[in-house]
Amino acid sequence: MSDTAAATPTTDERLAYRSVFQRVFVRPEVGGMIGAIGIWTFFWAVSETFGTVGQTFGWLDIAATLGIMAVAVSMLMIGGEFDLSSGAMTGAMGMLIIYMVKETGETGGWGLPLVVAIPLSLAVALGIGYLNGYMVERTGQPSFIITLATFFALRGLKLGLAKREVQQIQMARTDEATDFDLFRPFFAAEWARNDHQFELRDFTFITLIVLAFAIVILGISELWFKRNESLKSAGLVQFLAGIVLGVAGGVAMHLTDGVAANIAAAAAIAVGVLVGVNGWASWRYEPIADRGKLEIREDLKRRLAIGVGLVVVGAIFAVIIDSSSKRDVFFPFTTQGIRAILFVGFVAAGLTVLAMASQGALSINPATKFAVTSIMALAVVFVALTIFVDSESAKFRAAFFSVVMFVALVLFAWATIVSRFTERRHPDRQSDRLGARMLVAAALLLAVGMATRLLFTIDAEILAGIPPAKTSVRLLWFFVFAAVLVWVLANTKFGSWTYAVGGNKEAARQVGVPAARTKTQLFMLVSFAAWLVGLLIAFRINSIQANVGDGEEFEFIIAAVVGGTLLTGGYGTAFGGAIGAVIMAMPLLGIAAARWNTDWRWLFIGVILALAVIANKFIRDKAEGIRR
Amino acid sequence: MKRLKYLLAMLLAFSMVAAACGDSSDGDDSSDGETSETTEAEVDLTQGSDLTFHVITHSDDGPFWTVVKNGADAAAADLGITVVWKPGVNDAQTMVQDIEAAVAEGSDGIGASLPDPDALVGPLQAAVAAGTPVITLNSGSNDYQEIGALTHVGQSEFVAGQGAGNRFNDAGATKVLCAFQEQGNIGLSERCEGLSDSFSGEVVAEFMGLDADTTEQQNTINAALAADGDIDGVLGVGPVITMSALRAAQDLGRVITIGGFDMTPELLAAIEAGDVAFTVDQQQYLQGYLTVLFLYLNVTNQNTVGGGLPVLTGPGFVTPDNAAAVVSLSEQGTR
Repeated sequence: MSDTAAATPTTDERLAYRSVFQRVFVRPEVGGMIGAIGIWTFFWAVSETFGTVGQTFGWLDIAATLGIMAVAVSMLMIGGEFDLSSGAMTGAMGMLIIYMVKETGETGGWGLPLVVAIPLSLAVALGIGYLNGYMVERTGQPSFIITLATFFALRGLKLGLAKREVQQIQMARTDEATDFDLFRPFFAAEWARNDHQFELRDFTFITLIVLAFAIVILGISELWFKRNESLKSAGLVQFLAGIVLGVAGGVAMHLTDGVAANIAAAAAIAVGVLVGVNGWASWRYEPIADRGKLEIREDLKRRLAIGVGLVVVGAIFAVIIDSSSKRDVFFPFTTQGIRAILFVGFVAAGLTVLAMASQGALSINPATKFAVTSIMALAVVFVALTIFVDSESAKFRAAFFSVVMFVALVLFAWATIVSRFTERRHPDRQSDRLGARMLVAAALLLAVGMATRLLFTIDAEILAGIPPAKTSVRLLWFFVFAAVLVWVLANTKFGSWTYAVGGNKEAARQVGVPAARTKTQLFMLVSFAAWLVGLLIAFRINSIQANVGDGEEFEFIIAAVVGGTLLTGGYGTAFGGAIGAVIMAMPLLGIAAARWNTDWRWLFIGVILALAVIANKFIRDKAEGIRR
Repeated sequence: MKRLKYLLAMLLAFSMVAAACGDSSDGDDSSDGETSETTEAEVDLTQGSDLTFHVITHSDDGPFWTVVKNGADAAAADLGITVVWKPGVNDAQTMVQDIEAAVAEGSDGIGASLPDPDALVGPLQAAVAAGTPVITLNSGSNDYQEIGALTHVGQSEFVAGQGAGNRFNDAGATKVLCAFQEQGNIGLSERCEGLSDSFSGEVVAEFMGLDADTTEQQNTINAALAADGDIDGVLGVGPVITMSALRAAQDLGRVITIGGFDMTPELLAAIEAGDVAFTVDQQQYLQGYLTVLFLYLNVTNQNTVGGGLPVLTGPGFVTPDNAAAVVSLSEQGTR
């Protein structure tokens, strides 16, 4: 990859050292995460229902089984192999389990209890995975061909044996198992949101989210800035004062009502954040002695003009196009939709240019950096106000407006500290570890906050008669499975071997990596995932048709690629596979939620795939180009 | 160590095959009890008549076609004649050979399905020219006249959709989602078009995900229903997607009239429970039975049925009223 990176022309940036953001952007899954947020926002904007909890559970549900497979397939692909039998295997494993537990007699089946059938079917699954790996290893043929053979064999076995054994093209009735009720909670337990009330839900949610963002800022600071020789307690006092002010603002906003009170509370929060962040920084980090003079060079001026211009053009589009018209213009857009796309497109382009300008200003001097980043923050405020003034729907005026204003605040807070404190240009193990841990803690807080918001309801919602929303334990399986594999890939010897055999198998073997064993284990990992998915399906719908899963293997591969894994192996993350699954799931549901013509669905998926691959490559090249 | 692994692999592979095969002898016995033999060899049921009809279809001997075959066999037994059942297993080339062989043998009449008109119209025209009466069944409603067949026995997808539309009219639905599970399948589109034709309210026809991923189907339908509160009916044009629609509606807690196409045990159970209003049944038993009967009447009595129009075997409907009866009939292999 580094040879292609050389083709990317970069000027000053090439000389810059590798900053925190560059280190972040070189991660394979970052493009996917940005894409996921973009797609979510897009469908949230164009559909009335996409953002509701019920539909969120919907796309998470699609993502769960897809994601379990995509995470395992990502690992296999990092290990340099494909498994085209993975889709058919999900259905095959589900059918096998049902066949094992069916009552004997006329209906066919072995009548085993699940306590035997579950491990037995797992053994079969691992056996198929082993066979895949063994065949690839022994024949030396591409896994693409070997597993294609397994795919056809499984497909034939599913149909042939189902018809021969139970005279149907499906296996039905998991619940005939004698101990079905014992295992049901593990694989099919459901959570009905409307049965679980938690009146402090919104307060908990907002508190955790704000806390998470605060820790993100502080964590990035820890990674970014140079530590003081000694801590300055005045800064600590200022930091605590900022917290008190921010919390007071938050409580005030929670308790009071009315525009004036809200503005006052928001101002208190904003000041609190600025004071707190600066306090934290002056407590811990080394100030800059000479901040330099504001110096807007020609190229910077051009970038600023283009960026601000694009944002303003976007706003003009938003104002002049009739926001209420749902008239069809051309597929699949209404006037309203085109307005949204033009607005978002121009604004996003403008802010990207401004971000590049801000990046470039860093190499001039801190004062310029401050000015340029502040201009960017102002542009974001302008966008927020445009949304507020011109939008008719409450969700934009309230939720979206607040989020965008908060982004502007964070940007400005960043501008204040980045221009006041010295950047650390050398590794500092202690700070790096602390910063990374803070980011992980923030991610966990964010997750807990979102889960609270999703899983519980409040009196007001029940009174308003919101439709029931359900989720099931399969989501938990997805999260746990993905988390375990992310950990394994990043922290274990097996994880390192996976990268090694995918990068260059011969070289890996020569340095002592058990290449064949590692690859076989990866195939078995994919079969394990297929077994788990088959089990989840068997418990959910109680019957499995012979064609279940056929053709899905490409969706797993697409999810992995969208998540930043390379088809050539040796590069990617397990987390990327999970993100890819989410990206795949959202449009499937979003198109239906937006009430678009579903005839165009595959086109949409194709465009997303193309964009994801191009964006991933762009980001990677850019990041690696900078790193050189 | 390596040898051990090899053994382990063999063991697992063996257990896999064993698991899949299971008690094969039981299965064979029960399936063949009432229908003589399932081999594709000739089924001889001659009872005092020398008439022999050939029924040559793209049958895959699956649950659907088994019922057609049972119909043809029952007619042969009732009439005391011989029916030769030739399953083409979706291979038009095999069917062409079977048709030509039947004509060469001097068949008294041919019943044929037309999955691939381009390949099959010619041989059947030749059969008619040779004086063999031909009836098309199941598929071929657009081509039977060109062949010169006596009539076509089957279901018109459009008419079946119209029948479903009338059911929704009776149920008082105002906006129906016609959910299909395959894009670019003309038969499924015709079902939705028929629905639009006879239904008095609004119809939206949308692709809602493949049968291979029912999770996706269910959530996509859920999304469509949640986004459009006016939808008060769903027609699934296949049995699997119909069950997905039912689960979606139940998750949302919405009262929605659900109709479906064709039958699976789950769908029949849901109809029996009253969760699904109806399913469209094309009564394929009739396609086997009537084809043989019409050929017999033509040969022995010079009757022609249909007056140049096709004879429709559907839509029949399975509703909560007759679901229990249909369940027991489908266990006997006649529905």
